[in-house]
Amino acid sequence: MRNALMLALWLATIGAAAAHAAGRHVRLVVTRPYLNMHLGPGRAYPVFYVVARGETLTVLFSRTDWYKVRAPRGAEGWVRRRALMHTRLPSGAPAPIPPYPDFATHHWEIGAGYGVYNRQNLVTAYVDRSLTRSLDFEFVLQQAFGTLDDRYIATIGLRHTFVPEWRRFSPTAGIGTGYQYTQAKVPPKPLETSNQLAYVSVGARGFITRRFMWRFDWRSYVVFTHQNSNEEPEEWKFGLAVFF
Amino acid sequence: MEIRLGGFLLAAAAALGAPMLSGCAWLHRGAHHRPVLVGARTPSGAAASASARRRHDTAIIEPQVTRHIVKTPKIKSSDFEIGPYFGALSIQDFGTNPLYGARLAYHVTTHVFMEGYLGRSTAGTTSLQDVFPNITVLSNSGKHFTYYDLDLGYNVLPGEVYLGRGRAFNTELYTTLGMGDVKFANKDQFALNFGVGERILITDWLAMHMDVRDHIFETDLTGRVKNVDNIEATLGFTVFY
Repeated sequence: MRNALMLALWLATIGAAAAHAAGRHVRLVVTRPYLNMHLGPGRAYPVFYVVARGETLTVLFSRTDWYKVRAPRGAEGWVRRRALMHTRLPSGAPAPIPPYPDFATHHWEIGAGYGVYNRQNLVTAYVDRSLTRSLDFEFVLQQAFGTLDDRYIATIGLRHTFVPEWRRFSPTAGIGTGYQYTQAKVPPKPLETSNQLAYVSVGARGFITRRFMWRFDWRSYVVFTHQNSNEEPEEWKFGLAVFF
Repeated sequence: MEIRLGGFLLAAAAALGAPMLSGCAWLHRGAHHRPVLVGARTPSGAAASASARRRHDTAIIEPQVTRHIVKTPKIKSSDFEIGPYFGALSIQDFGTNPLYGARLAYHVTTHVFMEGYLGRSTAGTTSLQDVFPNITVLSNSGKHFTYYDLDLGYNVLPGEVYLGRGRAFNTELYTTLGMGDVKFANKDQFALNFGVGERILITDWLAMHMDVRDHIFETDLTGRVKNVDNIEATLGFTVFY
């Protein structure tokens, strides 16, 4: 009950923030002969209103590649990003439409994927920050589902892209470290539940379309234990990511 | 005529002579210049005089207007969606039970979105336990059915629905496919899931969802290894931000 109350309060806060944010809007002047307004954010939605050259639009907010706008006479509809590029601020300055993220110079990636870790199913999610065009910092969270135990793995690492200019396929190599937490499914309990590990990786990445990309990675781990020998599991995974 | 010519010559002499007569107090009657004129009699004072004049000149041309910075407000983006959902989950062999959870979605394009779910339900009893009430299949903690999913969603059919004569709401019928973890009977299982849902945008920032999804995973809970289908039907609300 208390959680539900907190959730309701939180939703109300977000709603209030959204209402408050509606106070200041960008106004843009149409510079093309006309601009189509759709009923919804998608090309499938019909055009129901046309704004003429010289008229001023109020931009309310954006959702993906579409912008919700208000026409001078009060009609509200959706305009494509590409169409809104042909507008200007009332001062004559270019419209503040952020450029579409470019694959070659993107800064962030968020992705998830499936893999196999030591012959166990693996679910992986990661965040990647580009330090330079060819060097990335990555933070990865993974869960491996074994018959005898589950492994939770968190790693940080650096990854080098050999030829970042190759868009569709570009090989990568990486190195990193992290922790592995082991949770037994059946008795007996594992001798060690928390271990540090290190890895080297080779892989590839490629651009798919728009803001999507794929990644493939093969990793060789060394899991440091207090036993006579370290564990040396291997892993491969394939993931889809969105870049910013 | 002579008076005019005389006046002109006097003015010209004053103008030409002024630089040469830096020590002349009459030509520098301004209050700012008096201390400089005193110092101007020594060689080091000449430099001081020049710097003072520069300062004086700077003071004259310094603009008295404050710079007005024009800030264009940013266009707010609203690509994230978050909210709770409630419904029923049919846990195979363990009856249909209430379910609650929360979702977070990021809309990448108008068609594609990434979504994460967290959900929880509690299993009931098996049919076997109806016949033999004393049998214990699941411990108390093992009755919890908890899952997380990472999904990719695709808006298949965008459209509109109408309420009465004057209200229209944008809708999207979507499909989702993903994978994640189901913790049931105190064991984590790798699970695949797929589903169909309808999103109705009540306002620009509030949406209602109706979803049906299936969580499939492998278990040996009832004695033999098999894939089980756990179908949920939920109603949810989300806020775009």
